[in-house]
Amino acid sequence: MSLAWAFYFSTVLVYLGVNMIACWGLNLQYGYTGILNFAYIIFVSAGAYTAAILTLGPKTDGSFQQYVFGMNLPFPLPIIAGGVVGGLLSALVGIIGLRRLRSDYQAMVFLVISLIATTVVTNDVGLFNGPAGLSVVPKPLDTVVNLSLINYQWFYVGVTAVICLIVYWFVRRITNSPLGRSMRAVRDHEQAAAALGKNVAAIRMRAFVIGGVIAGVSGAVLVSFISAWSPGGWLYQETFVLFTAIIVGGTANNAGAALGALLVPVLFLESTRFLPPIGRPGLIDALQWVAVGALALIFLWFWPRGVLPERRRVIRLSTPSGPAAAAEPASADQSTGGK
Amino acid sequence: MFMQALGFGIITASILAIGAVGFTTQFGVTNILNLAYGDVMTASAFTAYVANAAGLNPWWGLVCGAIFGALFSFLLNRVVYTPYIRRGSKLFVMIIITISISLIVQNLLQVIWGPQFYSIHVDPGRTVHVLGMVFTTSQLYIIMIAGLALVALHSLLRFTRIGKAMRATASDAELARNCGIGTRRVIDLAWLMSGLLCGVAGVALVMELGSFQSTTGGAFLVPIIAAAVLGGVGQIYGAMLGGLIIGVTTELAAVFINPQYKDVVAFGMLIVVLLLRPQGILSEVASQKEVAA
Repeated sequence: MSLAWAFYFSTVLVYLGVNMIACWGLNLQYGYTGILNFAYIIFVSAGAYTAAILTLGPKTDGSFQQYVFGMNLPFPLPIIAGGVVGGLLSALVGIIGLRRLRSDYQAMVFLVISLIATTVVTNDVGLFNGPAGLSVVPKPLDTVVNLSLINYQWFYVGVTAVICLIVYWFVRRITNSPLGRSMRAVRDHEQAAAALGKNVAAIRMRAFVIGGVIAGVSGAVLVSFISAWSPGGWLYQETFVLFTAIIVGGTANNAGAALGALLVPVLFLESTRFLPPIGRPGLIDALQWVAVGALALIFLWFWPRGVLPERRRVIRLSTPSGPAAAAEPASADQSTGGK
Repeated sequence: MFMQALGFGIITASILAIGAVGFTTQFGVTNILNLAYGDVMTASAFTAYVANAAGLNPWWGLVCGAIFGALFSFLLNRVVYTPYIRRGSKLFVMIIITISISLIVQNLLQVIWGPQFYSIHVDPGRTVHVLGMVFTTSQLYIIMIAGLALVALHSLLRFTRIGKAMRATASDAELARNCGIGTRRVIDLAWLMSGLLCGVAGVALVMELGSFQSTTGGAFLVPIIAAAVLGGVGQIYGAMLGGLIIGVTTELAAVFINPQYKDVVAFGMLIVVLLLRPQGILSEVASQKEVAA
């Protein structure tokens, strides 16, 4: 593998990891709980911004870019802070957006919030440095590990992989827990869940905030790698790419979401990079968006459950212990034992 | 200063009112939140541009744009939305479908026309002073078109059988069907009318703005939705009133706060309305309805 390819390949791997994390967070909200969060990318962006300013260090007078709360925190802290800010912002937005609204109105609120956020961030130069965004964000542990550029790339692939594993473990724990079960109940039948004593609003809020934390982490991991942040990179269309990824991979299936992250933002969108530059600039970008839209439509028509559909969960009453259990046919024991 | 801003507000409000009434007619009847509406507006504007470039008067271009909008919306429903609903897509999934269509239309326009700006040349005519507000003749035409379109729609809904059928379908599609109303035809008509108004709004918008590109209509969608929701979904008069309120407020905000925050004001109002009165200012309750096809 030549150096250029190694460089490219490692970059794509980091993108894959970042997209996988983002898809897990969105899947928790959309797939499991049924919240159409069209503002998802805003929480990714917020996490990224937080991580950026917490590694850039305090702003000096001669600084060429504007930002707030500059700090110089050691490695894992900016990423954790990114997650915390993503979660806090989600809580704030959730208070506004998660009221008892029809699901289409709710989607509308989130879409509008996404648009407002982009407008405000682009125009408020003092706070977020306007459309220029932030650049020269230092790479984490760069001075500590002291590696060559290409080895640092592979090192960061490792860091991303570890964070992916932690997030995956965390998400799986949630979706397999009673909370995950309640989330699916809220998604499938809100009134029934409420009738069984589930606090629907609180469950939605929890899914929303946890999703926001994961979104923040994914943004933070990305920004530390590419060393730059700008509001133009996090428009509402990016949320749509993640939605398409989940629809293609498999809604309410964590492995499916990861597969979707591989198929849509990475393979599908990266492959156009290798097309010969035809037509005018911007043509391929526009065609790419057409293709993403068409991909979502095609999957919703032919495979609405995605490549890896949600596992059907059948809840059996546990077999009573004692003499009655012994009388059960042997196959029943196998089916409960094999879980 | 204030009167001039109010003048701008009235022009924006007329375009918004046309768009919002078209949006709400379709949304009220079918319950599909058509996020591709703004992009159909842009497509209609490009149709008018082509007609104008072919030598037609811009106002005939507006007619061409309106017809294109009507046919496009009709086909969009017949070819895409209805089949998905028949296949069992819920309200939830329909939003993702309309947003996909929006992306596809917008980017196809960009593929065809590129990212640059176009303009339909309209002779502004003499300027007219009304109570300290200054309008050009073409702006007065736009306001008049808005007035006429809304009166025509009002008459259709109030005084004709098909209008009555449409109102019945909007309030309860199933009950209407059980009473022998051909809801399919009503829904087709709703899409045609909505598309017609969408086309008019799109062309009027780009005439007023002076220049446009493939994203212009999409950017105008949120104020339209804001006006429609403010008025109460499916409420024609509400949408007119909503258009007026949003139009005037955003233009006043542009003058007195910051032109960049014009949209933020519209967005903010939409959110506030959704939180305080999701059923709109003039409306019955927007209940938990499913999509109708």
